[in-house]
Amino acid sequence: MKKIINDPQDFVTEFVQGIALAHPGAVRIVTGDHRVLARADAPVAGKVGIVTGGGSGHLPLFKGYVGSGLCDAVAIGNVFSSPSPEQILEATKAADGGAGVLYLYGNYGGDVLNFDLAADLAELDGIRTETVLGRDDVASQPRTRAADRRGVAGLFFAYKTAGAAAERGDSLDEVAAIARVTAENTVTMGVGLSPTILPTTGKPSFELGADEMEIGIGIHGEPGIHRGALAPADAIATQLTEALLADLDPAAGERVAVLVNGLGATPLEELYVLYRRVHEMLTERDLVIARSYVGEYATSLEMAGASISLLRVDDELRDLLGAPADSPFFREGGDR
Amino acid sequence: MNTAQLVTATRSALERLAGHADELGDLDQALGDGDLGITISSGADAVSSALEDVPADARPADVLRVAAKAFASANPSTMAALVAGALLAGARAWGDATEVGRAEGAVLAAAAAESISTRGKSAVGDKTILDALVPAAEALRDAPDAAAAVDAAVAAAAQGVEQTTQLQSQKGRAAWLQERSRGLPDGGAVAMLRFLESWRDTTSRS
Repeated sequence: MKKIINDPQDFVTEFVQGIALAHPGAVRIVTGDHRVLARADAPVAGKVGIVTGGGSGHLPLFKGYVGSGLCDAVAIGNVFSSPSPEQILEATKAADGGAGVLYLYGNYGGDVLNFDLAADLAELDGIRTETVLGRDDVASQPRTRAADRRGVAGLFFAYKTAGAAAERGDSLDEVAAIARVTAENTVTMGVGLSPTILPTTGKPSFELGADEMEIGIGIHGEPGIHRGALAPADAIATQLTEALLADLDPAAGERVAVLVNGLGATPLEELYVLYRRVHEMLTERDLVIARSYVGEYATSLEMAGASISLLRVDDELRDLLGAPADSPFFREGGDR
Repeated sequence: MNTAQLVTATRSALERLAGHADELGDLDQALGDGDLGITISSGADAVSSALEDVPADARPADVLRVAAKAFASANPSTMAALVAGALLAGARAWGDATEVGRAEGAVLAAAAAESISTRGKSAVGDKTILDALVPAAEALRDAPDAAAAVDAAVAAAAQGVEQTTQLQSQKGRAAWLQERSRGLPDGGAVAMLRFLESWRDTTSRS
């Protein structure tokens, strides 16, 4: 294993410190344990707060999306581990501008337990919360069990739309409704080419042959739906996109936003090669590409691979995607 | 009992409960991460001092809310947050009641058990606090009067604790021990039993 780290036990604290030092005007560390980051100007009075959180190892997910037009605070767990209820509560207090707080995060057991417990604690502090989960990973469960799906890169879309809704002054119920409709219309599927190595153990999270790929892999290396010989980019893009279209089932003429996401060790060039084929397929189906994103939005440390996400949009979601946003890892200047 | 009586009884019971911290810590050392003793002792102290400031016109449900908040912040852990959520569920169930007795005790225990079960995705038989709390809640519900109710709840909880000795831990860090978790009772269930015993001993004295 080769990694640019110090003591593995200090990994999370040190990268959080680095983010705060590199972006001093944008974010600040809220707690002495370095496990809560908030917008520098949080809480914003009268605005619905958005709190996210989850394990480390997925940058820019989750902590990269703290900023205007996105999330207000993030609770940070250790690598691939949930933050604690108290850390989530501290993030909640940091985010609450008096209009309530939306919990927006991916569907993982430990995170759900700890966010639900934090919601109880927040209620004791007089802060109202609502919860919306990202459940976009179509390979993790069939559509009939969509409520049990894990949340992966497509959570970005919900950050963007809910964040913009909160910024324009929507109420907690309205922001939650935007997040919910976004999450329900988001689908993602990934492909893994090489495993992640955990800093604390120095061991790969799973084994994959040198010439193999795993279709449907999760962002912690959870097994996918098919393991086979590595295929050309167009074949991978076709397989993933067909699965997504079958699941989302958009009608000809509908609009979609597209996200081609790198899992950590795959070059941007390869992501664009994938995007090219995805774009071609969507166009062939008479779908209108409302917005497109290519880059690293949700990673799994140094896993090689990519995921493709689609969001079905209407006028409102399209406008919310285009609204201004500014965070250390994502900026949107306004509708282009 | 009214709010003031509830505060007094709770504070004396917690003082007694804190005396069991070493026993609970040792049990948790064997099966979990060893922090149950400190969770209980610092939690009991924090709740007790927070209850000093409950205003005279507060409802019994407010006592539960104050206790929940103090317990959760004293020594934060999943266990502490689960207990806080359970007390909060009880507070919701009590609503605006100004007097609480056997029936409200049963309502609190049932709401608490439901909350812990839902939040922790656990059930009776998983070797958790529920193995003492659920039978105690049923005993409270079925008892004819307050005096008999507490005795019945203690007896039911004690039987539940005894049964956890035979069980394999299914939840939390103790689950990692798998087969090796058999032979000792669950610390959370014992903590529940010790609280009920403390409650019985303090309220029967008064």
